[in-house]
Amino acid sequence: MNRTLMALGFALVCGVAGAQANILQLPLINDPIMNPLIAPDLGSILVNKVIFPGLVRPDENLQPVPDLAKSWTITNGGLVYTFVLRDDVRWHDGKPFTAQDVVYTFKTAIDPKSGSRLASDFNSIKSVEARGNHTVRFVLSRPFAPFLILLGHNAGILPKHLLEGKDLSSNTAFNRQLPIGTGPFKVSRVVPGASVTLVANKDYYRGDPKLAGITFKIVPDLNTQVAQLRSGQLDWATLEPSNLASVQNVPNIAIKEANAIQHFLVFFNLKNPLFTAPKVREAMQYAVNRKAIIDGILKGYADYPTGTIPTALRTYYDKSIKPIAYNPAQALKLLAQAGWKPNARGTLVNSKGEPFKFTLIVDKGNATREQAALAVQQDLKKIGMDVTLQTLEFGTLVRDYLIPGKYDANLIWWTTPPDPDQYSFYATGQDNNEASWSNARADSLLKRGRETVDPKARKNIYNAYQRLTMQDPPVLVLYYPKEIQAINKDLTGVPDLGIRDALRYTERFQLR
Amino acid sequence: MLSPGYIARRVVHALVVLAVVAVVTFFIVRLAPGGPAALADPALRDAERAAIEARLGLNDPLPVQFLKFVGNALRGDLGESFLFGTPTTQVIASRIGNTLILAGAALTLTLLVAVPLGTLSGLRPHSWIDRIVSFISVVVLAIPVFWLGLILIIALAVLRPVLPAGGMYTTGMEGNLVDLLRHLLLPAVVLASASIAELLRYTRSSVRSAAKLDHVRTARAKGLPQRTVHLRHVLKNALIPVVTVIGLQLPRLVGGAAVTETIFAWPGMGRLSVEAALGRDYPLILGVTLVVATAVVLFNLLVDLVYPLIDPRIRTDG
Repeated sequence: MNRTLMALGFALVCGVAGAQANILQLPLINDPIMNPLIAPDLGSILVNKVIFPGLVRPDENLQPVPDLAKSWTITNGGLVYTFVLRDDVRWHDGKPFTAQDVVYTFKTAIDPKSGSRLASDFNSIKSVEARGNHTVRFVLSRPFAPFLILLGHNAGILPKHLLEGKDLSSNTAFNRQLPIGTGPFKVSRVVPGASVTLVANKDYYRGDPKLAGITFKIVPDLNTQVAQLRSGQLDWATLEPSNLASVQNVPNIAIKEANAIQHFLVFFNLKNPLFTAPKVREAMQYAVNRKAIIDGILKGYADYPTGTIPTALRTYYDKSIKPIAYNPAQALKLLAQAGWKPNARGTLVNSKGEPFKFTLIVDKGNATREQAALAVQQDLKKIGMDVTLQTLEFGTLVRDYLIPGKYDANLIWWTTPPDPDQYSFYATGQDNNEASWSNARADSLLKRGRETVDPKARKNIYNAYQRLTMQDPPVLVLYYPKEIQAINKDLTGVPDLGIRDALRYTERFQLR
Repeated sequence: MLSPGYIARRVVHALVVLAVVAVVTFFIVRLAPGGPAALADPALRDAERAAIEARLGLNDPLPVQFLKFVGNALRGDLGESFLFGTPTTQVIASRIGNTLILAGAALTLTLLVAVPLGTLSGLRPHSWIDRIVSFISVVVLAIPVFWLGLILIIALAVLRPVLPAGGMYTTGMEGNLVDLLRHLLLPAVVLASASIAELLRYTRSSVRSAAKLDHVRTARAKGLPQRTVHLRHVLKNALIPVVTVIGLQLPRLVGGAAVTETIFAWPGMGRLSVEAALGRDYPLILGVTLVVATAVVLFNLLVDLVYPLIDPRIRTDG
């Protein structure tokens, strides 16, 4: 009896041998929906990148390279895209992958009744049809330059033979238990609330993946994720700058930074007369010490902003544009030109003596954003603005304040596909233009930018747009963050990309 | 003896409580600002948002939504979870077992530690053992659960990696009992900590009161051995109220596991309730609340029904 107890105790403390080797372990914060058309959150998107390849995938310059498609041609002035598909691809259930699957996927994606979240990405598609088993032709209703990039972004291809005629959203067996894709790993087991286990797909069209499997573990608490990274129960996670100290100098963990295609910003509600004058918004760019935010709060893991196009979009970003440096005196000068001067007590007032007073909202619970908002508030106070800071739960901020336009200013961020198209965010009257910014020249540039297929001409257009947004800032861009990755040093073969794009290459990953 | 009238009254009372919980929860969660996580993506276009709202049935006026909920609930259908896209009852069913494992382990730990130590403390008031036990229980009561959890993870999973930092099983070892026990140890200790401290203090004072009763003094005066006095006269009386307290601990363990389960990535009901609340998953919030409420009501009912049996002084006919 005593011996049995001792053996049990020993096993409890030492762990039980038998956990499989060569399996990559990644964290998620909740159960994923394994269907790229309806995936609502980043975790689901990450899992789907592994299971469901798209026609193309992004290379290290974020440009599309072949994946399920072998090659493509663009004709009729950017209106017709013809893809030749690989003929050696099989679904995880053994059925052959054909052009019909691609047609089904995109017809469903653009059907507003399907529950698809990719409808707006692909609303330029007029028709999609199969030409034989391995050729697909898309006809667009207007030239749309981001089309290829978007095909390599979230648009994983779904199996027609399993899903046709079924309701996407309520198809639980597929979405939650046993999705069938064509990727290098296939789902072998789902334990709700705990893990999604994937094993190598021996029929993968690029040959055997090097890992035996991938496990996505559901670990909702970020501190616990860090603890699990340190104890070897996770191999790769993205961190907040505030977590950095806990993983630095841990022998088996490397810290890597990757470009995130995001810009963090403060929206000003331009329906509020306070912010209508471009001079006021320009002044705020001088008034906020963005370098202090980047160095202090983001520990240097961000780039200094020049407009709304992040540095990560190397091909289109204009490096020659000089950033606006912190200069409160210049801010006060511009504000004076716009009719706002400090009174005897240092408060900024207009000719009627009314103070420059507004509320800045930020979402609750993320230390980086809360601290950044506090820094913005303090900097604006220094030039005499009366700024109140309010923290709100994210869903509330978006639903009750941002979307109905019931806010003065709001610290938030945009994550975009790896393309400079920002038409839906900053063109007049667009759904996502929550700030209600309107600039005729910007509208024209943004429209031309998305319709111009020639990369050189496109670059010129976006450079002009970038310059324009420095003088008439639609929003106050604070920084372009870097994705901070803590990664097991034994993991190799990972391309130099953010985690979501890197997961398109899991067949090359290897654990020593 | 329990009269049928007493039982019927208690059961009706329980049902009324559940109905009130359902109504209050339904309206309170909808009064909360924000909305379902499915709608919280600022990059959604208006048409996409409208399509989601229609699909989730959020376009109906609140009273209509309520009537639909009541109608479905009476048929055992608590609606489809917004976050999971599956029936709420299925989501809960997949998690409740895990919580019962954790709560069961915590309760066992509570009983094994709190009752003997509390008894010892109560029988030897102001001794060194009583002082140490009292001091530790006050400290434990004062420690926030999340902090204790993180400290234990750092100490025993990171700095001295003898136990896993979270989860229920090592990947690939699902169903292995030893692996489960290794994962269970830390969260069970954390979840049990507050209960242990409370029950310990309760047991101590109950034992102390019983030790002062007249018949105990008489027993001592008759010259009965100390051991017999303690076991037969003190403990028998002291542990009757302790049983009630234990009965009330279990629903608290089921419902109060939210923090522990989140920190230890334990796939149970507590964490589910956090996910549901953060995601404004109305059907799931309601489902989880109803299940926990049912547990509380059932245990209360059980205590109400059992108590007169173990302590005949309780009248059931009034």
